[in-house]
Amino acid sequence: MRKLALLLSLILGVTSAYAGTNINGNVESRCTVNTDTAGYYGNPNAYTLTTLPASAGQVPIIRIDTSLATAYKAQISYPTSFSSSPSLGDTVVWTGAVAVDQTSSSDMSGYQAASTTADGGAMRIYPLTVAGATWFSVASVATYGGGQQKAFPGGSYTAVVVAECIAQ
Amino acid sequence: MNTPTLGVSAETGLDISGVIYNYTAVKDLEDDFTVTVGNEDLDGGYIWKDTEDWSGKYGMKLRKFIPIPYTPIELFGKGSIATTGKGSVEDASVIYMYRWDLCRNAQNDKSCPNYIPPLPVIPVIEIYDALEDEFVKDATKETDDVGTDKDEDTRETEEEEEEKERLEIAMAASENALTIANTASQASLLLRINNATNVSSYYVAQIQGGVYRESIALQGGEIVDNRKALRSLAQDNLMNDMIQEQYK
Repeated sequence: MRKLALLLSLILGVTSAYAGTNINGNVESRCTVNTDTAGYYGNPNAYTLTTLPASAGQVPIIRIDTSLATAYKAQISYPTSFSSSPSLGDTVVWTGAVAVDQTSSSDMSGYQAASTTADGGAMRIYPLTVAGATWFSVASVATYGGGQQKAFPGGSYTAVVVAECIAQ
Repeated sequence: MNTPTLGVSAETGLDISGVIYNYTAVKDLEDDFTVTVGNEDLDGGYIWKDTEDWSGKYGMKLRKFIPIPYTPIELFGKGSIATTGKGSVEDASVIYMYRWDLCRNAQNDKSCPNYIPPLPVIPVIEIYDALEDEFVKDATKETDDVGTDKDEDTRETEEEEEEKERLEIAMAASENALTIANTASQASLLLRINNATNVSSYYVAQIQGGVYRESIALQGGEIVDNRKALRSLAQDNLMNDMIQEQYK
């Protein structure tokens, strides 16, 4: 039967043809993350780096905008390590806090209460149930010496706050 | 809206395109609380107004952007942040976004189409109106009727009444005088009539005597004109001499 079909096709001079057609599409995110205020560490004593303004630090402010309600969640983590620093031979104890600083609508006032934590408390997750802008503050404190109040080696220290807008 | 409020010159050509306001709502979760931010327009309404209902919500910091179609600054009235319910607003600020249309006033810049050279500033002359002067008002303030028109009227009325009384008295006196005079004239008339009656008897009396006749007669019976005198009068010499005499 297969031979018959091949023969028939040869007789009829029919050849099979096909084309692959792409369908392209772009998805523009309805959620953006921006740094509203850059943070920096103050150094109130030899063994502490802190973003608290009272210690000459600056708390970073991150703004997340979404134009679509209940479509995204914000995941924001305070640092748990330095991205660059002098060589450190001792442990660094990290503490911090992520909080809603301000919102563009009173309907977002429940964001902090509705948030959850992950990653040992360093990450806070906010369901973005209202379209608009939300400003998050991320406080960070690093203490050197594992409770022994050991002085940080001199040099430049950098830590990273990770903020993400993830589709639910 | 004025220049100090805006922080920029509130002149023709300034258009507001949006407002960013922020504040911190301080309240308890269970309290009802609303905050309204806006600007009045020139008719007493609102050119823009935004209300946040914080009832049953956590109080926190709010930052909001309100887009507005390009609106001339002249149409913006008084701005306000009003609240209702239990709660308060702290650290409030309102920032206006604007654009500057340089050529809205064609006198602003030579590059503007239909540029019009600016007119010189005409000094404003204040006209002194004495009637509006406080000192004049105080000085002319009516304290009593002395020296006023009312007082003058009162005095005129009194004078008129006095004059009337005097006139009445005078008329009464003259009436009495006329009565007396009439009585006197009637007596005089009667006296004259009586005199005439007494004199008429003399008219009918006959005086004894004759007639006085013309006794003068003209000699020659003809009077002739003086020819010399006529000649002299016919010339002007005498008249001219007389005229010249008065200038000597």
